[in-house]
Amino acid sequence: MHIAHLTLTNVRSFRRLDLALEPGRHVIAGDNAQGKSNLLEAVQMLATARTLRGGTDLDVISWPAVEEDPLPVARLEAAVQTAQGKRTLEIAVIAQETPPGMRPTRASRRFRVNGVARRASDLIGQLRVVMFSADDLEIIAGAPAVRRRYLDITLSQFDGAYLRALQRYGRVLEQRNSLLRKLQERRGRPDELDFWDDELASTGALIAQRRADAIRALARDAAERYAELAPSEAEDLAICYVPRLPPAVAEAIREHDLADRLRATLVEERREDILRGVTRWGPHRDDVQFLIGGRHAGNSASRGQQRTAALALRLAEVELSTRRSGDAPVLLLDDILSELDPARRERILQVAYGVDQVLITTPDEDRPSREEMPDAVRYRLAEGILTRQ
Amino acid sequence: MSPIQRLVDAFHRLPGIGPKSAQRLAYHVLRAPVEEARDLAEALLHVKESIVLCARCQNVTDRSPCRICADTSRERTVICVVEEPLDVVAIDRTGGYRGLYHVLHGVVSPSDGIGPEDLKIEELLRRLRDVDTEVTEIIVATNPNLQGEATSMYLARLLRPLGLKVTRLARGLPAGADLEYADDVTLGRAMEYRQEV
Ligand SMILES: [Zn+2]
Repeated sequence: MHIAHLTLTNVRSFRRLDLALEPGRHVIAGDNAQGKSNLLEAVQMLATARTLRGGTDLDVISWPAVEEDPLPVARLEAAVQTAQGKRTLEIAVIAQETPPGMRPTRASRRFRVNGVARRASDLIGQLRVVMFSADDLEIIAGAPAVRRRYLDITLSQFDGAYLRALQRYGRVLEQRNSLLRKLQERRGRPDELDFWDDELASTGALIAQRRADAIRALARDAAERYAELAPSEAEDLAICYVPRLPPAVAEAIREHDLADRLRATLVEERREDILRGVTRWGPHRDDVQFLIGGRHAGNSASRGQQRTAALALRLAEVELSTRRSGDAPVLLLDDILSELDPARRERILQVAYGVDQVLITTPDEDRPSREEMPDAVRYRLAEGILTRQ
Repeated sequence: MSPIQRLVDAFHRLPGIGPKSAQRLAYHVLRAPVEEARDLAEALLHVKESIVLCARCQNVTDRSPCRICADTSRERTVICVVEEPLDVVAIDRTGGYRGLYHVLHGVVSPSDGIGPEDLKIEELLRRLRDVDTEVTEIIVATNPNLQGEATSMYLARLLRPLGLKVTRLARGLPAGADLEYADDVTLGRAMEYRQEV
């Protein structure tokens, strides 16, 4: 698949960007703070329907638009070409209505697919991307929430059932936790939990099983890629799923009756959950372990090892996404080539030639060089204006 | 507070009215002839003063029992349980249903602080326990979303021990859709092919 056209209006540093793209490799060079990352993050948002980590919807809208326009709107549009045909995707981020003179503090998102208003879940997966960036280190070294977010974004792009279960799970969990707090105050009756436990168990079991499957595939491929990227390294990379389930239930994660077992856990643990006012078991508390040489990569591996592990994980993700959907994702390389040694850079570039389209940002016009990537279309980005070289 | 600001604030408190719309409405009233303003004010007051809840079905009505409950030509063996008064209008418009109704005035939603005790469930049970009751079937016509399903499940567990047949509107209503906006054909078919829960 590839992006045939990208239009950004009032998106971050872009007042207007209108870009026709062919398949192949595209290198966008620019000094820091010129909006290179914003460009790739906008593409990622069109794929995942999510705003950036730590950012709000309002942050997507360019500041001049927020300051000057009567109704500030950021618009992201892409035409995507796949084997099945062309589709258009659109996200509008609309600032909340405010009285004159007041700045908006919130914004909301509207989605369109082929011109028709849709929900976020209908947009997700229409364009699949794998983004490589310096932030990937956080997947290895950050909090468990970062790893869950990584899994959710990755799986949602090619597994519609996972995405639907995830969204339903989130809503059910919120309802169940509210009910637990109410029961904690001795209002209501515990059997009001029945429905929410059923729903949490059926959606939670699907999420846990799909995560287990995906992590098994990622672990296998990432271990191979890690060994290739660091041939001189004696230690190996292992990735394991740590589902937040009682051990006996976790052992049965591949069984078809996992939902029943999870439901039984939720019912057994009700008293304790009510006491704490929170649901303690289930995939919302899952984690993924990265082990290098058998030790936790997050706290005992070197920075270099962590970086290599993150790179190996992204490469494994490209393979998984391709295998699961029969079509390679668009690669987004956000300023990662300049810091890699030549051997690793070569490995990444090799992968870049195995997919339909790659968008690369770099502060250094020579990373990748014209020898490394002779056929690349090259652009220069300065002050929000993109110029083809 | 200035009179105009008081009006703007009053409009702003209405559901779906943002600050700018509230201003537009307020200035519209300001420019309109005094008869129009008086008409609006009287309509607002009248609805609050004359509308009551039907003692049987809890629907909004200007007299209790309401027209539907008082209509002797309607089937008395079946009650269709809905979330809101507007759902009664939507279902009755299809013409395919000739039984009675019960309006819950909401759905179970713990995160909004709404539990079964906040709905008109006790009033429904009272109707069913009445010695003269002829009801044998309850159709739960809550919306096909999470809260609607939670409410339907809760009611089914509560009502089945009373020996009643409890059914749910057939799928075919798009998930997440509001009954209020469903077209008559879809709604009629959902009613016809209702399933036991
Ligand atoms: Zn009535």
